[in-house]
Amino acid sequence: MTAIGALIESRGLSVRYHGALRAALDDVSMSVSPGELVAIAGPNGSGKTTLLRALLGLVRPERGDAWIGGRPAAEWERAALARTVGVVTQREETVFPLRVHDTVMLGRYAHLGPLASPRAADRAAVAAALARCDVAGFAERGVDELSGGEWQRVRVARALAQEPKALVLDEPTASLDVRHEMELFELIHGLVRGGLAGLVVTHQLNLAARFADRIVLLDEGRVVAQGAPHAVLERDVVARVFRWPVAVTTWCDGSPQVVPLRTGESSLPPSPPFTSGSTDR
Amino acid sequence: MSGRLIRLLGSTAAATLVALAGCRAREAPRDHALVVVDDAGDTVRLAGPARRIVSLIPATTELLFAIGAGPDLVGRTRWCDFPAEAAAVPDVGDGMTPNLEAVAATRPDLVVLYNSGQNGTAAERLRALGIPAVRVRSDLLADVPRLARLLGTLTDRRGAAESLSVAFDSSLAAATVPAANRRPSVFLLVWDQPPMTVGKGSYLSELLERAGAVNAYADLPTSSGQISIESVAERNPDLVFTMNAGAPAFAGRPEWQRIPAIRERRFVHAPGSEFSRPSPRAPAAIRTLSARIAEASAPR
Amino acid sequence: MRLSPARVLVVAVPLVLAAGIALGSVALSPAAVWQGLTNGASAHALIVRELRLPRVLLAFLVGGSLGVSGAVLQALVRNPLADPYLLGLSGGAGLGAVIAIALDAGTAWAVPASAFAGALAAVALVYRLAVVSGRRLDPRVLLLAGVVVGAFAAAVMSAVIVLSDAPRLRNAFLWLLGGFSAASWSALAIFAAYAAVPVLVMARSGRALDLLALGDETAHHLGADPERTKRLVYVAASLLTAASVATCGIIGFVGLVVPHAMRRLGSPLHRALLPASFLGGGAFLVAADTIARTVLRPVELPVGVVTALVGVPLFALLLRKSVS
Repeated sequence: MTAIGALIESRGLSVRYHGALRAALDDVSMSVSPGELVAIAGPNGSGKTTLLRALLGLVRPERGDAWIGGRPAAEWERAALARTVGVVTQREETVFPLRVHDTVMLGRYAHLGPLASPRAADRAAVAAALARCDVAGFAERGVDELSGGEWQRVRVARALAQEPKALVLDEPTASLDVRHEMELFELIHGLVRGGLAGLVVTHQLNLAARFADRIVLLDEGRVVAQGAPHAVLERDVVARVFRWPVAVTTWCDGSPQVVPLRTGESSLPPSPPFTSGSTDR
Repeated sequence: MSGRLIRLLGSTAAATLVALAGCRAREAPRDHALVVVDDAGDTVRLAGPARRIVSLIPATTELLFAIGAGPDLVGRTRWCDFPAEAAAVPDVGDGMTPNLEAVAATRPDLVVLYNSGQNGTAAERLRALGIPAVRVRSDLLADVPRLARLLGTLTDRRGAAESLSVAFDSSLAAATVPAANRRPSVFLLVWDQPPMTVGKGSYLSELLERAGAVNAYADLPTSSGQISIESVAERNPDLVFTMNAGAPAFAGRPEWQRIPAIRERRFVHAPGSEFSRPSPRAPAAIRTLSARIAEASAPR
Repeated sequence: MRLSPARVLVVAVPLVLAAGIALGSVALSPAAVWQGLTNGASAHALIVRELRLPRVLLAFLVGGSLGVSGAVLQALVRNPLADPYLLGLSGGAGLGAVIAIALDAGTAWAVPASAFAGALAAVALVYRLAVVSGRRLDPRVLLLAGVVVGAFAAAVMSAVIVLSDAPRLRNAFLWLLGGFSAASWSALAIFAAYAAVPVLVMARSGRALDLLALGDETAHHLGADPERTKRLVYVAASLLTAASVATCGIIGFVGLVVPHAMRRLGSPLHRALLPASFLGGGAFLVAADTIARTVLRPVELPVGVVTALVGVPLFALLLRKSVS
């Protein structure tokens, strides 16, 4: 039984790795629908990456199931799955750097197969992906010449070239500076508003609060809370899950912003919204 | 996956077998005047006596000159240094992995090769090109008259070959020192770093035995091998035979001084190619050797 | 300034092949060579048609095979410094060949067959060692296992050599150093028939290898089957390299330098890289063999020596070019 319109979902998903003492995931139920951006957050070891892998059918669950597009994840044929879900992993090897254009063209593998030559449709998809991710300007450059932020956008472009219905990203802003972080999240947000289902694993609670429609907060394999950011990121919940005292304020767009406290600082009562110096972003 | 792979391997093997089957050498039936079986067991046929011979073994080059077939030689290896007339014969390279192109360029009607497993390929290739090739062993004294007769048959100089063999056998017998009570033991040092010697099954050892001495390592299981200083000390040879004149480089080293023959510098040396390969000059070699041994054994 | 490898090769390959046929231990004028090629009854036909032509073609095929195998293995282990012999192949082949030489096996095919068997045994052993839990082929373990198996085989081989007779010792070394002196039309036919399937398999894996180079996880998410690709390509490259070693001994540098050069000078995409590595490897080996045959005539240098002597400065040049 699937949630109405959900593209990726899990029901009661439990995963235990061979020989582990506790379950990596315990009774996790969540869903992502087209047009919505869901963020998975939680402390290290809480099962975020395991959840992603289980949702994509890479890990066999002990109990429960994962569904993609209304079918069990494990039943999806590899190429068909690649045409439906575009995944940007945490890390990737770049031993033999290609040009940006060729990298993004690799995203068409699921459509082309091992032998066929790229056709007009493939070239169009690649061009569209490059433009959408704002990397068309360095299509001829080698990927080893790019900055971290540019490289991540290229990887997203490659995932887009797969013409997927969903986009899944695992810690996409891990080593990026503020500007590139924001650019990337704006890009993902825009793509999701354009109709894709978006699922992001991130450490950045505050960015998740600003951009995601829903947050799934995990702790030790269990869902502690899921829903709209302001409902999930409550001070006591966050402090308990991350085992660190925090304060939660509200930004002018209504999103909760988590501020970790230093020793000696006390948790302030909820303060009035900040007034920013200018209204344009 | 595995089914596809098996099909892959299967088709490869099938293709290989087909190619192999199609490449059998077909020999046209011809009237052959001379047929011999060489030392590798192959039957070799010649249309007539060999008059353009490439000899890829120094020992057979020598023998061919000895039976009067010198003028018929059109190719030799660069190691063929005896007799002096051999220098006039064109050098076609090495004998162990022969240069087929250089050999074929001399348009020979017979090629003589050393009987090693690898030369088997070369022999086959030559035969496939229409050039008769014989592989022979030339390792011991007994090979000299035997090869002389074989070459005599191949070059139609049986008379010269026969008389050479007979003369060889008798001068060999004459040069052989009769068994005596006291035969000096000689350590044949063929290489010094690491120390290597040769056992009973080698030509040098044969010469030594006939020269009236005993090989200190006659019981060596392989025909040549590396030995340790301890074993030399244990066997305590009377003399040390060296390939080069004078004391070998290590003779001054402390660990070798426990061997009396080395400490007292009792070396025997005999230069010349007649000591390193079976040759009609063996009887003279034996005489030289026994003289040198007597010299070196004499009390100082 | 950028001459694409494709254009260079289109010109270089026929030139090198022609040079290989025209030059040799025996100096022949171009007219004589042409006569030998076209007129079966001419005096030079024997040398040109039966000795040089099959030799040049065989060297081209073997060089191409080594080039392609090297490129594929570099993608497999995600390391541009990988070489077809890295997986224990040369040790196993050497051991097989040396055992056959030491036992003085009778037939001419004994040594190549034994070398082939030895190479395959080494490859199977390395594969077995590198398959980790879940039947995955781990490239890092593959490299280590290859080094270990190769070292072990080399040690046993040295022991066998030391315990054998002086002439066999020399034979063993001569064989190991590699050469095409045994080239013939039948050897060419056998190698060509044998090599066709593995080369085709590798050629078809071009795009899959591009994905494999990104890492197993990324490749999987893009729709590829990295495990299947790895297995298929590993088997094909091993078979091909084993056959090459059995045909002409251990000839190094071709499988390492040629794909590396093609990747630097041209496109790292395997659709272009694999054909370039094949043609480049073939041309390189024909050139090396021609040099080996002619520089000190009538003595023939082992081809492996020439590939190293030529390959090392070439490699150094490439490295400098990439750094600047």
